[in-house]
Amino acid sequence: MKPQPSLTVCLAFALALSAHASSGNQSPASDKARRSVAAVQPAAPATAQAQAVGETHAAVQVAQQDGAQPAAQSSATAASEPFSVEKAVQTCNTCHGPDGNSALPETPSLAGQTARYIYLQLKDFKEKRRENPLMSPMAANLDKPQMLALAQYYAEKKLKPNDFKADAGKIKHGKAKADEVLCTMCHLGGFMGQNEIPRVAGQRYDYIVKQLKDFRAMKRTNDAGNMTSVSKTLKDEDIEALAHYITNIN
Amino acid sequence: MAAAALLASAALAQEISGGATTAGASMSGRLTGVSQAMLDGADKEGSQWLQVNGGYSQLRYAPQSQITAGNVKKLKPAFVFQTAVLESMETAPLVVGDVMFLTTSFNHVYAINAVTGQQYWHYKHKMGAVTTYCCGPNNRGVAALDGMLYMGTLDAKLVALDAKTGKLMWETQIEDPELGYSETMAPVAVDGKVLIGTNGGEYGVRGFVKAFDAKDGKLLWTFYTIPEKGHEGVWAVNDATGRNMLRDIAAEKDALAKNGGDFYKTLGGGVWMTPAVDRETKTVFFVVGNPSPDLYGAERPGDNLYTNSMVAVDLDTGKYKWHYQYIAHDVWDLDAVSPVILTEAKGKDGKKRKVAIHGGKTGHVYVHDRATGELIRFSEAMVPQENMWVLPTSEGARMLPGANGGVEWNPMAVNPKLGLAYAANLHQPMTYHVEAAKYPGGKLWLGGAFKVIPSEKQWGRLAAVDISTGKMVWKADTEQPLMGGVLATAGGLVFTGEGNGAFNAYSAKNGAKLWSFQCGAGVNAPAVSYSVNGKQYIAVAAGGNTQLDFKRGNSMFVFALP
Repeated sequence: MKPQPSLTVCLAFALALSAHASSGNQSPASDKARRSVAAVQPAAPATAQAQAVGETHAAVQVAQQDGAQPAAQSSATAASEPFSVEKAVQTCNTCHGPDGNSALPETPSLAGQTARYIYLQLKDFKEKRRENPLMSPMAANLDKPQMLALAQYYAEKKLKPNDFKADAGKIKHGKAKADEVLCTMCHLGGFMGQNEIPRVAGQRYDYIVKQLKDFRAMKRTNDAGNMTSVSKTLKDEDIEALAHYITNIN
Repeated sequence: MAAAALLASAALAQEISGGATTAGASMSGRLTGVSQAMLDGADKEGSQWLQVNGGYSQLRYAPQSQITAGNVKKLKPAFVFQTAVLESMETAPLVVGDVMFLTTSFNHVYAINAVTGQQYWHYKHKMGAVTTYCCGPNNRGVAALDGMLYMGTLDAKLVALDAKTGKLMWETQIEDPELGYSETMAPVAVDGKVLIGTNGGEYGVRGFVKAFDAKDGKLLWTFYTIPEKGHEGVWAVNDATGRNMLRDIAAEKDALAKNGGDFYKTLGGGVWMTPAVDRETKTVFFVVGNPSPDLYGAERPGDNLYTNSMVAVDLDTGKYKWHYQYIAHDVWDLDAVSPVILTEAKGKDGKKRKVAIHGGKTGHVYVHDRATGELIRFSEAMVPQENMWVLPTSEGARMLPGANGGVEWNPMAVNPKLGLAYAANLHQPMTYHVEAAKYPGGKLWLGGAFKVIPSEKQWGRLAAVDISTGKMVWKADTEQPLMGGVLATAGGLVFTGEGNGAFNAYSAKNGAKLWSFQCGAGVNAPAVSYSVNGKQYIAVAAGGNTQLDFKRGNSMFVFALP
């Protein structure tokens, strides 16, 4: 079982990032506080991107109303500044929530996610193995050190328990399904994830449901067939039960 | 579940900063360097446990006989050593003099007193930024030679430590972890070399066994388990037991002719358990894991040599000697894993022969001539087999055994006096599912999935097989599938553990359960035996298991008679 976060980060993030890759080979773990890479030019215009997305566009608006940095402002200041993880994540967090703890239903939390998974998903967005109207352009201008730095940043954050009211009967059903399809063989005990296999414990309910359904329908295909195969025999009620179970693990 | 999650989280969090040796009490004066002569005699060693599987023959047979079928009921814990890492433990400790060396998940090593549990030092490997492994952050132990200890790491390095101090002496990068290479196996040290294979059959690696110079980590030779040319083999129709594997060989030949054989670079074939060594003939024996991707075979036409095979190579050069493939073009992940054991058994003519044996995920024990690889016999199936070899489907096809076996990585033990091999088996009914998938560049690449069948009970079976007849002499069934391995002793006992925390002793002759102790976490590691000051000890790790999600722990339990 591998429901995998879609990293539907906000638009402005892409605008704050460099298209001119740094030649530096920074270690993501070596300098957590100050990772800086030469900055550059914006990706596609924010409005065009946002309009293409409907539901996530609405999410961006919600985040902005809550006081997050608007996309246009970020891009205006980013063009000549070096890449800064701390600044970049301000933009990410408008959708993914403070420290990567998402409050938006289909936007995944990134806090406590495995660094390897975040990095590979960003890479997949960039190289078009995974498509999302918001995330694809954002990842397009990231270079490897930047991706690794962002991944490490969120991996070190603490995931807060979410407020989803899970149903006891569905949790039981979900646990039985998880045992059947051998989720923890890859996702590790407690669904904590390992390496490129994501932590899904405590992930947002709607996001888990959407990813499992997307895998089943082959709308998401960057799993080398593993999750497609796992989800293929799951009914809608199984997927919902699994999500009740997994989101409730904190 | 929530508690387990927190604990696992704590264990993971410990690993990010990594990389140091912490000193404890002054090292015991009884610690000596482990010489080549000591390693050569390790299979018959009277008191120490010098290699993870006993000696180069990997019999896992301890000559100590103080603890017997008659007194094992009195066996009690002498001490419990708790590590700082609460995660799956598959380690077998070494004991040199009165010092025990044990490893944990995430590549920690401890040196402790083997009688009291007092800690001498603790080494914590500084993990690289990238690790890629499928089935838990395990480690199965170290090799010792001439005052050094050798360990493979999750970030695909080989590290050498000073056994007295735990200080890092050198480290070398074995392969690129970005591409799915990692190390969980214990290496073997021999003739100034350290031999090690690789994980990665779930990631599209090209498997190997490499030899490094024990002094400085310089690479001496590499044997690739996937040959660049000829991996299509003989287009075998049947498996080692003569059953048709339902291959569409015409279609495979067409695919190979059309697309070529360049996929050898991602064909898998990991070697992730310790090789056996015959020093007389200078031969290294090991088994090779599954092809990549596990369940989707269309990408890799041919027999996929030398996956799912026993292979013998020259100790000095790594040059190929022989191989025997059990399952050609495997699409069930029923690969060869449990380490090779070198022993003797009767040939078909009744005369004793030197043999190399392997316990398969298929549930058979295979007995080979050691010089040629000829399959002398295979045992009766130790666990139920059904629908072999039905091909995986999109919706899932039921076949027994499930993908974990039979015999998983679990090292077997042999009692040479009784001529019996003891194998820890699983019974996990599964359906096999296939999904087309191109090479994903270092990400998990199963090409499908395995699923257990909820309505069918899972269980374990400790089986004793007469390797001169192939008959299963006795069997002892357990509540849960067995994962961890076996120890046999000259006291007429066989030890193995269960995922529910039980560590058990059985009669070597008839399988009667004679003793059990509840360790509080899954006992999913092979036990060892040693003696200090004339007293015999049995040690086993209780840390649970990732693959079967057995309850995690962090302890080495050591037992002795009062």
